[in-house]
Amino acid sequence: MSKENKDVLYGLYDDEEVLLKAVDQANAGHLEIMDVFSPFPVHGLDPKLGLSESRLHIAGFVFGAIGTLTAFLFMTWVFTRDWPIIFGGKPYWSVPAFIPITFELTVLFASIGMVVTFYTICGMAPGIWNPILDDRITDDKFCIAFDVTGSEEAEKEKLKSFFTASGASEVNTKTI
Amino acid sequence: MNQFSFDSRLKNILIGFMVLGLVCLGITFFVDDELHTRFWTNYLHNSVFFTGIALMSLFIMAAFTTAWSGWHTLVKRIWEAYSLFLIPGLILMLVVIIGIWGHFHHLYHWADAEAVAADPILQGKSSFLNPGWYTFGTLIIVGLWILFAVRIRQLSVDEDANGTTDYDHHRKIRIWSAAFLPLAGFSSAAVIWQWIMSIDAHWYSTLYAWYTGASWFVAAMALTILTIIYLKSRGYLEKVNIEHLHDLGKYMFAFSIFWTYLWFSQYMLIWYANVGEETVYFLERRENYPVLFYGNLILNFVAPFFILMRNDTKRKYGTLVFTSIVVFFGHWWDFFQMIKPGARTTAMEALAHHAGEHGHEMIAHGEMGAHELPFALGYTIPGFLELGTMLGFLALFLFVAFDRLSKASLVPKNDPYLAESLQHHVEIHGEEGAH
Amino acid sequence: MSAVVSPIREPLIEGGKSYRQITEDICSPTESAPNVAWIVAFIISVAALAFYVFCVVWTVWVGIGSWNLNRTIGWGWDITNFVWWIGIGHAGTLISAILLLFRQKWRTGVNRAAEAMTIFAVMCAGQFPLIHMGRLWLGFFIFPYPNTRGPLWVNFNSPLLWDVFAISTYFTVSLLFWYTGLVPDFATLRDRAKGIRKNIYNFLSFGWTGAAKHWQRFESLSLVLAGLATPLVLSVHTIVSFDFATSVIPGWHTTIFPPYFVAGAIFSGFAMVQTLMVITRKVLKLEQYITLGHIESMNKVILVTGTIVGVAYLTELFIAWYSGYIYEQYAFYNRVMGPYYWSYIGMMSCNVLSPQIFWWKKMRRSIFVTFVMSIFVNIGMWFERFVIIATTLARDYLPSSWSYYTPTWVEIGLFVGTLGLFFTLYLIFTRTAPVVAVAEVKAILKSAGDQYLEPNARHAAKVVKEEVETQA
Repeated sequence: MSKENKDVLYGLYDDEEVLLKAVDQANAGHLEIMDVFSPFPVHGLDPKLGLSESRLHIAGFVFGAIGTLTAFLFMTWVFTRDWPIIFGGKPYWSVPAFIPITFELTVLFASIGMVVTFYTICGMAPGIWNPILDDRITDDKFCIAFDVTGSEEAEKEKLKSFFTASGASEVNTKTI
Repeated sequence: MNQFSFDSRLKNILIGFMVLGLVCLGITFFVDDELHTRFWTNYLHNSVFFTGIALMSLFIMAAFTTAWSGWHTLVKRIWEAYSLFLIPGLILMLVVIIGIWGHFHHLYHWADAEAVAADPILQGKSSFLNPGWYTFGTLIIVGLWILFAVRIRQLSVDEDANGTTDYDHHRKIRIWSAAFLPLAGFSSAAVIWQWIMSIDAHWYSTLYAWYTGASWFVAAMALTILTIIYLKSRGYLEKVNIEHLHDLGKYMFAFSIFWTYLWFSQYMLIWYANVGEETVYFLERRENYPVLFYGNLILNFVAPFFILMRNDTKRKYGTLVFTSIVVFFGHWWDFFQMIKPGARTTAMEALAHHAGEHGHEMIAHGEMGAHELPFALGYTIPGFLELGTMLGFLALFLFVAFDRLSKASLVPKNDPYLAESLQHHVEIHGEEGAH
Repeated sequence: MSAVVSPIREPLIEGGKSYRQITEDICSPTESAPNVAWIVAFIISVAALAFYVFCVVWTVWVGIGSWNLNRTIGWGWDITNFVWWIGIGHAGTLISAILLLFRQKWRTGVNRAAEAMTIFAVMCAGQFPLIHMGRLWLGFFIFPYPNTRGPLWVNFNSPLLWDVFAISTYFTVSLLFWYTGLVPDFATLRDRAKGIRKNIYNFLSFGWTGAAKHWQRFESLSLVLAGLATPLVLSVHTIVSFDFATSVIPGWHTTIFPPYFVAGAIFSGFAMVQTLMVITRKVLKLEQYITLGHIESMNKVILVTGTIVGVAYLTELFIAWYSGYIYEQYAFYNRVMGPYYWSYIGMMSCNVLSPQIFWWKKMRRSIFVTFVMSIFVNIGMWFERFVIIATTLARDYLPSSWSYYTPTWVEIGLFVGTLGLFFTLYLIFTRTAPVVAVAEVKAILKSAGDQYLEPNARHAAKVVKEEVETQA
């Protein structure tokens, strides 16, 4: 996140269907949306905003694979090289008995890795205050925000008229 | 097109394959040993496999109906058609039953009165493992399944014509479906024990019925996907979109893993505790049938797991068709490895008995399975005759299914969930949005 | 535009709620002072928790000899309680993960509380393996760490060690899953709060903003976590069952144990969810979010899993006879007819027979019957574990060492005490976090709110008309 303050012009909508139409209008008018905020995930929004598919699951796969290898190779090393012991007449390298722990560590590594990645790339952590445009965004308002730092008055007027035309219930500016 | 027409070209192709199957069975019969073990095991293997797919289709439909799935409505006619194969399935099993009474085959160790007389363990089981119960159990249980399949089908077809907006038909279908679930749960175990587990007559495993059921389930899903894609390529089922196939692909993926879970649970527990009476089953397969044993895991776990793990492979016809074929063949292979080794041992003992004293060398391998058995095509791995027979049975299955499919509209018109199923592409986010 | 929903589906949110009202209804209980009922319940729970601490100290001080275990019956109430609690801790993840695969929208009303319950139940379960070691302070021996004894490693081939990994993984992943779901809802609480509460909830919400990209990643994360949690939840009780089934003890060594334990776990988990939900929805006035429809669906799950467990009981009995193995046969004869026959009766009647009343819709939708049944199932599932553990051990291979076992007050105290721990945590949860997943409920409002019922049904009829009838 950049340290510099931004001037943000934003409009609040009461319904996600109105919001979706407004985003279409903004796209048609070549207005550059900074971000959209909502109290719950709005479906059909991502393609309209041109958001590419999240690659988080790839991270999950990589972390999981690391977990698999860690568990399996470690147990193999312990029981064939470091301290081989016979248990219950089974071979040193008893693969079926290694499966449960290998599975558990795969899941554990994948989950922790993904969750940590998620919070890191979203810039979230305990104690962080991210700028919030309006308190009702986590309640019942849907918000489209434009970055108007250094924009001309005419530009802002154009955006405001867009908000009125697209059915926004409130339009505000805020410096964040 | 909502009405499937079973044209003569398709009929001829399927009849052609059925003839191929018959020819293969015939050749098997004549090149076989004097007990015709290969012929009978092939016959039993395919009869059980395809009857089970019919059962699982009915089960899937009943479970989805009970759980208010909705999205599967456009696909359900295929399952209805599959489930009606239970009728020919029962006829196929009747041949096995006649074989038991007439001593035409030596599939089951326990059916041989002399063997039972000399074997206290078989005597202990004889009040369950006997021709009477085998006949009675098969007739009653498969008969009940048929009753449910026919009734649900009737209600469903009648709904097309006479369905009203109070959805009385659907309510009745739901009651029949809910009642079928526990019935299937109890009864499938009983026939699985008799049809398959009793081939290794001394051996027992409490998990066996569930394992077998999971195998049928995945095979039914794979065949469903293949049928849908075939019908779509012919211009039918145009409303079934990639979302439906994605869901079916997810089921195939999830239940392949579930099957593996059951396989592992059964194998690992027996391997770990190492109780001789139980271990013999897997030891025999691992030592004498390694291709079957490891091939089973590669076809049914490794392949679907790594191919279908990605989301996009469940959304492409190419990968779906490929995986479905692998998995369908894989579960046929699974039943092959369940049936063949045990039946082969039984037959070898019987043959040795027929051949007199010196024949005992052939059965030196005995109970513990520690000795090597020679390679034998049709036992150690499936041969061309087995593949031909399988294609013949598959053609019979599809013939019956397509025939039934052509008798009613492909789209269940008055089903209350039809709209949801039609709008399934909207649903994709319903699932993600859920969390 | 409305959603396309089948006309025969019940609404999942009643009372014609708006987004605003949903926020208000679910968040407000955390913002007011607790009522008398809560305070009384909390005091009782904390008292039980204090008694638990006392019993643990007693066990450690006096030694494991303060329990009535003997050399024949080496596992008694301790492991019974462990398996019982871990089983209860299965419903939450099942609701969040597996029901997602089955497209069951009703899970959104109950998943938050069920997941919280899962985490607390796993915490209670985790106590018992630790306490039954006797020397609590050496508990870290169960983890593989480099040490000066060789290093001598733990036995990776032992199912007891698999349990260590399974339960710690399950606890961690459930916690991550639950907490990630809570983050946007904590942000809702933050944006309603003032002063110090705002600071606390911002800390808890990690600075959530609700940006589109964040929601997208959030959903992707939830989906993959659900995908991971599905096999995980199966694996946990499977591995618990391996503790018994890898042995050669008749009655324990049976291959059906893994799936049958999982079914039993789901069964008991749902029963506990019902016990809690029936009370929670009433006290927090959430009847419009956790509707009779939700209760009915959960009762159906109880019926299904109870019957699966019944199939497994009968399979075990049958195969014991079929095996022709006299020790196996005796083990099951002993369960039904032996000295602990009463626990077998308790198990069968509570787990298999009594849930069958849920075949009647009227019973499934009766709050009273649901509550009574949920208690029955909880008792029955406790008996099941007791039957498996104590009954089996009481009659081993050597008749001269056959024994009988009754718990001491310490063992009973530990069990009652963990109930105190569980309810203390749950009561705190209901006061501090939204008990229903606010964002998720909002997301299904348009498809499952009762005011949208008719438009959605009309829309559905229109879709059918357009797509099917025009073609024919």
